[in-house]
Amino acid sequence: MTHELRMVGALMRRGLNEILRVPGGAVPGVLAPTIFMLGLSAVFGRAAQLPGFDATDFRTFIVPVGMLQGAGFTGAATGVNLARDIEQGWFDRMLLAPAPRPVLLAGVVGSACLRSLLPATFLLAVAFALGVDWPGLLELALAAVLVMGLAAAMACWGVVIALRFRTQQAAPLMQMGSFVAVLFTTAYAPRELLSDWLRAIADVNPVTHVLEGVRQGFVGDVTWADTWPALVSVTGLVVVLGALAVRGMRRQGY
Amino acid sequence: MAAIEVSALEREFKGGVRAVDGIDLEVQAGEVYGFLGPNGAGKTTTVRMLVTLLRPTAGSARVAGFDVATEPAQVRRRIGVALQEAALDPLMTGRELIQLQATLHGIAPRSVADRGDELIGRVGLSRAAERRVGTYSGGMRRRLDLAMALIHRPEVLFLDEPTTGLDPTSRLTLWEEVRRLRDEGTTVFLTTQYLEEADQLADRLGIIAAGKLVAGGTPAALKAEVGRPHLDLVLADGADLAAAREVVASFGDRRPASDGCHLSIALEHGAAEIAPVLRALDDAGFAVAELELKQPTLDDVFLEKTGEHLEGGDEPEPEPAGGPAVLG
Amino acid sequence: MKAAVLGLARRALRNSARKPQFLAPLVIFPTLFLALNVGGLERTTELPGFPRVDGFLDFQLAAAITQSLLLGGVAAGIAVALDIEGGFFDRLIASPIPRVAIVLGSVLAAGVIAVVQVAYFLVLGLAFGAEIKGGVVGVLAVLAIGVVAGTGFGALGVMIALRARNASTVQGIFPIVFVVLFVSSAFFPENLLSSPVDSLAAYNPLSYIAEGMRQPIAFANEAGPFLEGLAAAAGMTAVAIALSVMALRGRLRDA
Repeated sequence: MTHELRMVGALMRRGLNEILRVPGGAVPGVLAPTIFMLGLSAVFGRAAQLPGFDATDFRTFIVPVGMLQGAGFTGAATGVNLARDIEQGWFDRMLLAPAPRPVLLAGVVGSACLRSLLPATFLLAVAFALGVDWPGLLELALAAVLVMGLAAAMACWGVVIALRFRTQQAAPLMQMGSFVAVLFTTAYAPRELLSDWLRAIADVNPVTHVLEGVRQGFVGDVTWADTWPALVSVTGLVVVLGALAVRGMRRQGY
Repeated sequence: MAAIEVSALEREFKGGVRAVDGIDLEVQAGEVYGFLGPNGAGKTTTVRMLVTLLRPTAGSARVAGFDVATEPAQVRRRIGVALQEAALDPLMTGRELIQLQATLHGIAPRSVADRGDELIGRVGLSRAAERRVGTYSGGMRRRLDLAMALIHRPEVLFLDEPTTGLDPTSRLTLWEEVRRLRDEGTTVFLTTQYLEEADQLADRLGIIAAGKLVAGGTPAALKAEVGRPHLDLVLADGADLAAAREVVASFGDRRPASDGCHLSIALEHGAAEIAPVLRALDDAGFAVAELELKQPTLDDVFLEKTGEHLEGGDEPEPEPAGGPAVLG
Repeated sequence: MKAAVLGLARRALRNSARKPQFLAPLVIFPTLFLALNVGGLERTTELPGFPRVDGFLDFQLAAAITQSLLLGGVAAGIAVALDIEGGFFDRLIASPIPRVAIVLGSVLAAGVIAVVQVAYFLVLGLAFGAEIKGGVVGVLAVLAIGVVAGTGFGALGVMIALRARNASTVQGIFPIVFVVLFVSSAFFPENLLSSPVDSLAAYNPLSYIAEGMRQPIAFANEAGPFLEGLAAAAGMTAVAIALSVMALRGRLRDA
């Protein structure tokens, strides 16, 4: 078991290595959710005056969306990096390691979890500087767990696509997946204000629960009723997409 | 015990292409086995099956005593692999990569430090160990790749075209290393498209063409099987070549090739025939300016077995940088 | 000169058509965004101060077109950057065609692609219940502004590619597309924007381009907004082409 943990650690370090050594490459991914949050709140800010909006401030309402978007981008980037590793042959080296395939996947996905905290932290720093209320430590810890969980799920999605297409050209597919997953939820407005078709999608999209789980601490108090669906949803996503990713890996080598 | 046993191994890709079409071979422990063939013959596909990166579609293979299809984890533990694309993370240093490889093979970093240093020294990368791999030359990358493949003291080492694209000096360095490994008792499975490499390194070799093994044996036996030595002569200036051909026509295969003032005679009875040929020419008054006895080469073997020459013409042109631009 | 420009434009168009994976994001991404904005915020048309429209989709179409055209500019830049990386660009410079044709060919191709982009979003809008109030004349007005603006965004992309010289840097300006679009009145009425965007939007040519296209779609044909939009697009395009020709000169001087 310690061997396995050490392997996960080593692969995660390699994933993180990329940010530390090529910081320029990570900048767009870190900035994008913040730009999005600032832009949306500047443009659509008045939407919060609609009756039925449960936050008085649109920016506060949209901050959790940005955090999850960062997780989504990070997950997609993990898929793109894996596709590059497949193209260049590095992935063969990983598959040649005498380790269980889930351990290798955990190494790849684990770094996505840690990396997803970077755009979220930057976003929160900007948001707090602009006057978004401090939600409390426990609330932030819950948000961090959910952000990391969603990053893991989206990284598994990226891995599935990367293993299927084996080329970085599949990047838009990975990004599109995370875009739809995070935003076709109650991202823009409370459920009651969504148009019928979007409400229908948001109702079946498990990320809606994850988003509401992150959001509750920003717009009000954390309740168990909003927390457990979020935790169940994110766990389910990780399990299902993780199983698909492991299956994809077994198909490559075996 | 055989280190590698392959029986009726096949790999069929989508669309019915059989890259490997029923290969049988056996490699003894401690042997260097050369797998020789042109690009696209099925060398890499065979290696990828033997190292558990690709599932065979039929047949079986055992490596280090374990079945590649049903006991892949056991196989992985016992083999070292240096693939054609020396895939190395350009952002990491040589030493970091060695350590990562050790960790991936379940070796605790502490116990591997000395072994890592030893391997880095052995492949001549001590001074470059702290540099990022992105700055390495092609030869350095291959050497580092080899060191990584050796970190867990594998029983069987697979080298897929280890010197393709390398300059002659780097190639010699790698050959030295392969010989040293054989001396230490490591079984080496080496694919190559270079005849000289197979000739220099392999104890035994197999020739693969279009997915099938067309010949196998020691280099000397294969050469003996197909060829006789040739005597190449250069006559002194002004000699009447046609007359000289008449003189030597009674030797060798009786169809001496000639070109300018060159004569080439396939000797029926080997080197013992040199003296009679020279004597006959001398008696007829021809002066010989140069003389060379040419032994059959693996290319002759290859030509005999497949009807094609191996070297030349099958080296792919390097792609121009950037690629995607299309001429209008 | 004319033949060289047309030939290079044809080549650029053919390359785009052969690589749908580069072109598809130009419409798919703005389509997703359009769906999201409309689905999530359609009730904002009830806000006090929101102009009278039949639906938020009618209002948002022009924003999606503008966004798509901007992404088209990024794609034009990436194509030129790939030509520079691949060496094709050097071959063009070494050939006897006028230098300016190298820039104008790519820019013209962006203008042609713009027709497709505008048409796609108008058809999409009609399919999902939007109405083009200005009728055929309105469609022509949208096309006029869209093509001129698309040409200009293409020129901006080419300019950035000539300065940056590698495709990944050009790709990196992607987020900036959102920034410039967010500080305009493309997505929301100017009177409802929050500070400081509300005051910045008045100086952003994208505001006029989007509103110029929105007027005939969501409201009615009216000369004022149309002329403002066309003027903004034409001005931006003239400046962008001048900048890209200057960038080409700079590149030739350095080479």
